[in-house]
Amino acid sequence: MNTEIILSNLVRRPVRTAVSVLAVAMEVMLILVIIGLVNGIKTDNAQRTQGVGADIMLQPAGATIFLGMSQNVMPIELTDGIRGLEGVRYATPVITQFNTQDSLDLVFGIDPVTFEQVSRGVTYLAGRIFEQPDEIVVDEIYADAKGIGIGDEIQLLNHSFTVSGIVASGKGARLYMDLEAAQEMTGDIGQASLIFITAASPDAIPEVISRLEAALPGYKVTRMSDYLSLMLSSSVPALDAFLTVVVGVAVSIGLLVIFLSTYTTISERTREIGILRSMGATRSYIVRLILHEAAVLAVSGVVVGLLASLAVGRLVPHFYPSITILIQSGWIINAALFAVFSAMFGALYPSLRAASQDPVDALAYE
Amino acid sequence: MVQRTHTLLETVDLKKTYRIGRLEVEALRGVTLTVDAGEMVAIMGPSGCGKSSLMHILGAMMRPSAGSVLIDGEDTTRMDDRARTEFRRRKIGFVFQKFNLLPTLTAAANIRVARKIDGSLGDPSVDVRLQELVTLLSIKDKMERRPVELSGGEQQRVAIARAVVKHPAILLADEPTGNLDSANSQLVLNMFRELNRTLGQTIILVTHNPELAGFADRVIQMRDGLVVGDGPSSRSWEENLVESSDEARTV
Repeated sequence: MNTEIILSNLVRRPVRTAVSVLAVAMEVMLILVIIGLVNGIKTDNAQRTQGVGADIMLQPAGATIFLGMSQNVMPIELTDGIRGLEGVRYATPVITQFNTQDSLDLVFGIDPVTFEQVSRGVTYLAGRIFEQPDEIVVDEIYADAKGIGIGDEIQLLNHSFTVSGIVASGKGARLYMDLEAAQEMTGDIGQASLIFITAASPDAIPEVISRLEAALPGYKVTRMSDYLSLMLSSSVPALDAFLTVVVGVAVSIGLLVIFLSTYTTISERTREIGILRSMGATRSYIVRLILHEAAVLAVSGVVVGLLASLAVGRLVPHFYPSITILIQSGWIINAALFAVFSAMFGALYPSLRAASQDPVDALAYE
Repeated sequence: MVQRTHTLLETVDLKKTYRIGRLEVEALRGVTLTVDAGEMVAIMGPSGCGKSSLMHILGAMMRPSAGSVLIDGEDTTRMDDRARTEFRRRKIGFVFQKFNLLPTLTAAANIRVARKIDGSLGDPSVDVRLQELVTLLSIKDKMERRPVELSGGEQQRVAIARAVVKHPAILLADEPTGNLDSANSQLVLNMFRELNRTLGQTIILVTHNPELAGFADRVIQMRDGLVVGDGPSSRSWEENLVESSDEARTV
């Protein structure tokens, strides 16, 4: 294909080229950043949940593995029963709740003593564990993001709390409060959202899982080593619909901008097409010429979009420490394919229209 | 001097009718003519006489309503669009009044595009021919300039080089001096004559300008879609050359 024609046309119309490249870049960015944000949140949550240090997580029937997103609870007395099971070393009940005030953060209502056992110790960077129902412990990322320190007051779940301690991040939630206080706030008195369990030894984990499944049919028993992969492969219907809409909008933007820019440029280049046809260029040559030009725009847009997405992925956590944007290679390929596909599809009709022009009429075009 | 050898082009009872709404316009009403290989022919006539339609049909850009066109033994009127495009690529070179160079490319790139299309890019023999052509057309030092950086005459000479580099059977020139001043017109016409004389290029000039006729071996007169005259040029091209050289010097 004639690279000289393609490149010279792109250079000759810098605004059109820039707008087209930016549109494709925006398409790629929309896909990568939004999907990356969702995957970042999922991965971050999964890694922190795994970081609790438990071997097994027990949840009531119908609960989702996305902690804090289901209201299903189970009697807290189950914890004692579980502790009595053969192969179980520790068990700790937790109430999970999502705080949506100012930001989206997972809050754990915990029993400090048993949580400490399961998590093999929480590292305090400042302060101490909560001692009052209106005291709260936050992790370092939350404290950094909000610019808060020991003794500061924060509004959470429509209540006011005083920060009593700041802990190293990576042990489940970003915020920890007293289990009973959490039960009262959620109205789940005597209930737990989940129970973290530590087995007596790694070898005992499968047996403990079998015993739990036998004793509590219908309950959700998750081995924590599988949690990250489960989390990433699991879907939330509403979230999936949202992501589908985002991808659809992104692809539509790319398609429409490339269509419009190609369509207008084809009109401007009618005589050029006539010249090429007079020299013996076939209709398919014209179609390929225009599609190649769209492909160059698309690939340029993909590169710009990818670089911009990576930059956003690095900058956002710098300004918002609690947010992680995880840009995965699989989605980079997907976004690139979506972008190239939409650009080619957008350029297809104008290219066919250009190729179908009568060469005599095209040469007479002013 | 290259000798004329055989009949290269033959049209038989060529007709072309355009339909504009309910109106039918007969552009060609039965044109029969022949052109020998190596001949330089001028097709002349006033505006609207059908000479542009004839040129487009001879160049396989358009199908006639009736009649046949045989070029180098091939009937282009029986060809579909793909075959006509392929024929055009192999056998026809066009030179237009408005030069029709691709504005975004340099002179050299314009010629490269044509060579890519006709498949001759990389052919050493065509490389040699191109060097001969750009020397003959005096554009060797203009090849890296874009059309806007060239004068009209220079643009037309680049267009001629682009058209003849593939050694087409016929070079069709549609009012090739229409956008040129008289000095450049003479220069370009002399170039056509040189191409015809030294390389044996068959050339058909389509024009309404009687002054161009003196540069051709033969003049075909058209009026109202018919050939009304066909004979040798009344002036020798050598006479025109002398005149043009004087005029060029004066300019």
